[in-house]
Amino acid sequence: MKLFAGACGLLFFAGAIYAPRFENVAAKAGLTRPFPNGGDKTKKFIVETTGSGAAFFDYDNDGLPDIFLVSGEGGLSRLYHNEGQGRFTDATAKMGLAAAAGWGQGVCAADYDNDGFTDLFVTYWGQNHLYRNIGGRRFEDVTERAGLKQDRVRYNTGCAFLDYDRDGHADLFVANYLKFDPRNTPEPGENPYCWYRNLPVACGPRGLEFDRNILYHNNGDGTFTDVSAASGIAEPDRNYSLGVLTGDFNNDGLVDIYVACDRTPSLLYINRANGKFSEEAVLRGVAYDENGNAMSGMGASAGDYDGDGWLDIFRSNFSDERETLYRNRGRGDFDDATALAGLARNTRYVGWGCGFFDFDNDGWKDLLLVNGHVFPEVERLGIDIHFRDRAILYRNLGGGKFADISETAGPGLAERHSARGAAFADYDNDGLVEVLINNQNEVPSLLKQVTRPPNHWVLLKLTGTRSNRSALGARVRLTAGDRTQVDEVRSGGSYLSQSDLRLHFGLGASTQVDRIEIDWPSGRRQTLRNSAADRVVTIEEPRD
Amino acid sequence: MPVIRFLPLLFAAASLSAQTTAEAVDAFHRGHYLQARQMLEKIVDGSPRDTVARTFLGLSRAATGACDAARPDLQQQFDSNPEGSLRRLAGLALVQCALAQNRMSEAEAVLEKLQKSFPDDADVLYETAKVHMKGWNDAVFQMYQKTPASFRVNQLSGEIFELQGRYQDAATEYRKAIQKNPAALNLHYRLGRALLLQSHDSANLKEARKEFQAELTLNPSDAVAEYQIGQILVAERDPAGAAARFEKAVSLNPEFGEALVALARTKADAKKYTEAIGLLERAVKLQPTSESAHYALMMAYRNAGRTEDAQREKAVFDKLSRPPEGEFTEFLKKLGDKASKQ
Repeated sequence: MKLFAGACGLLFFAGAIYAPRFENVAAKAGLTRPFPNGGDKTKKFIVETTGSGAAFFDYDNDGLPDIFLVSGEGGLSRLYHNEGQGRFTDATAKMGLAAAAGWGQGVCAADYDNDGFTDLFVTYWGQNHLYRNIGGRRFEDVTERAGLKQDRVRYNTGCAFLDYDRDGHADLFVANYLKFDPRNTPEPGENPYCWYRNLPVACGPRGLEFDRNILYHNNGDGTFTDVSAASGIAEPDRNYSLGVLTGDFNNDGLVDIYVACDRTPSLLYINRANGKFSEEAVLRGVAYDENGNAMSGMGASAGDYDGDGWLDIFRSNFSDERETLYRNRGRGDFDDATALAGLARNTRYVGWGCGFFDFDNDGWKDLLLVNGHVFPEVERLGIDIHFRDRAILYRNLGGGKFADISETAGPGLAERHSARGAAFADYDNDGLVEVLINNQNEVPSLLKQVTRPPNHWVLLKLTGTRSNRSALGARVRLTAGDRTQVDEVRSGGSYLSQSDLRLHFGLGASTQVDRIEIDWPSGRRQTLRNSAADRVVTIEEPRD
Repeated sequence: MPVIRFLPLLFAAASLSAQTTAEAVDAFHRGHYLQARQMLEKIVDGSPRDTVARTFLGLSRAATGACDAARPDLQQQFDSNPEGSLRRLAGLALVQCALAQNRMSEAEAVLEKLQKSFPDDADVLYETAKVHMKGWNDAVFQMYQKTPASFRVNQLSGEIFELQGRYQDAATEYRKAIQKNPAALNLHYRLGRALLLQSHDSANLKEARKEFQAELTLNPSDAVAEYQIGQILVAERDPAGAAARFEKAVSLNPEFGEALVALARTKADAKKYTEAIGLLERAVKLQPTSESAHYALMMAYRNAGRTEDAQREKAVFDKLSRPPEGEFTEFLKKLGDKASKQ
């Protein structure tokens, strides 16, 4: 297919290269509460290191993405309503979410019951919660009724809704990190897996027992059935699973599942169409780095960074490891393109939330990742690895290359936090994507560009009719000028987080979108022509 | 003379000639070595052919510091006792006595025999490590005593700091060594490595590269220095420059497995899969347990459309990469020095 032969290479807008300035506008926006997550100077157990996620989702269908932030023990996960004008107000109690305490980990969102309102799923070390959105007026905890009550304490982490069998109902994938019980987990320094650079630290994941991932099938009547064993999802049993990323990586029209795994090979479940998945990460080239080493994978993001029509994968890893960029060479086979793309230098960070997003609307997906070490104790070493650290922003130069522009992209990026989840959305519909970051034991960050690139954009809000209502898995090919871009609607992703379900495309100098082709999960293909740029376009799947 | 201390050792019950022997052995296992020794001396006086009593008499004498008195019994039991567990105990005690009395060659001779008979025994391996460590310590002590101003003292200090993860201190020592002996080989190389490990700052890549280049000035046939520069060029996104360095490293040392793998990767990146496969097939022959070589070969086969070969390599790779062995191998690799690469 020669669809994607657009001009590779240089940024194509005229004049000087756009220099973004990101500022942290969290306080101004009303996000002033800290979110606790274990110790700040020392951590006793691993559960203190992994939380927590962040979400952008529009729960009341007012066209403005709202915010949900997950808390660790000692705090409350909170819902913030987007009031417009860049302001958010705490709607946790009002919306019936105030009971959600505990070791919250991840969050994902989708309209699982196809009633037109986006529902919320929150994972825990402990019992997960499914919150049904009742008409955008309140949330109801339907965990037990939906059949999602777990029979033991599990360390649930990343999650994503997906319609793997294309029956029009959003199913649910939940990653499990490991089996953790503080009563029988060694304390810092107790065994060789409880040390880091001669410091006694929280033990694990090595040395702790593996667990298995879970797939719940949506029965279409408000309940789910655990199909982990029958689907093959539960087969891998030697992986510490964290970030979950869904996408059709082999372009066969079926959604696959990638899981970033800590200290063990990452997983790629290829959808075999009959309700079965086969785990193929090793041979497909996304389990290890180019040396065959298992990294400490945390978060993952998908995007067609090189414009060839295939979704590539980025994974954030531990310090002393490179981040990993896997280039899809077609049909879902990947090469490690980290060094070739220019991402091999930032090795002092522990990376978490990450995402492809086009900050300058030039039509090429850029890349942001947020960082922070797992062990606060690392500060005692006086080295260049820190518990709180800055974010990294890579500008996509085209031609498969990135440039690290973190140090010139504004004070928001330079702030040091122990960041975990990161979610992306254009929350004020101005065409520029903002980033919400959940920082351990601090108030969240909300990164917003205060500069404006000279390019155009479009936001697509897709609604399924025969397909699942959230349009999860819908594949969009958008052509503007000589560039064709692809993306998909997905739940989950980044690190334990949920980004806006709407798709954002930068259009460069193009003032209109020539063609939008949508492959809906139902199998229906829809084409729209000549849409104006610089607006939100709502597209409903044809009903006939 | 230091007293030899025994950890509780497994003892397969042999037929004991009398209840008192059992009591004496029990006293030994409870750590009452002097009491055991006194009991066993009486038993052996009365029953000189009681091999269990003789063995434990040797062991208790050794444990109470009487190595000279212990040695004849221990040696005899080690040489001729048909019971493996008793031979093993006697041998280990002989080694400990030899170490305590600084008779290194005797310790090594006994250990060689023990290793043949008990190749997977943790105590035997532990004593082997101790013997080597003592030899190392003695040599280092002499060097520091007799040639304190030598560049070798700084070099060795640097290497020790490296093992301790103190890369900045290591770099300082290597610099001192270079100042003392600018023509000595390997110092620039070790300094380059320490710089790479010391910081994640990309400026360090440039500094390290300078040191590897300086090593090449001293020794233009240093394949590992070429290889290191190649790796830096990869990180600096100069694939053509890196390929040339790897090519040179392989030409200098055709059996340099890591360089073959690195060169193959540059070929694969350029879609020259047949060339990559040739290099990698050589690499896995040279290093059959190299995870990275098998992984790269698996990917090259896959990219060349040789699915069955890729599956076969995957099976090899899967076997090699199983933790925790794989993890430990990686740890050892990080400790690995230049000699293992050349």
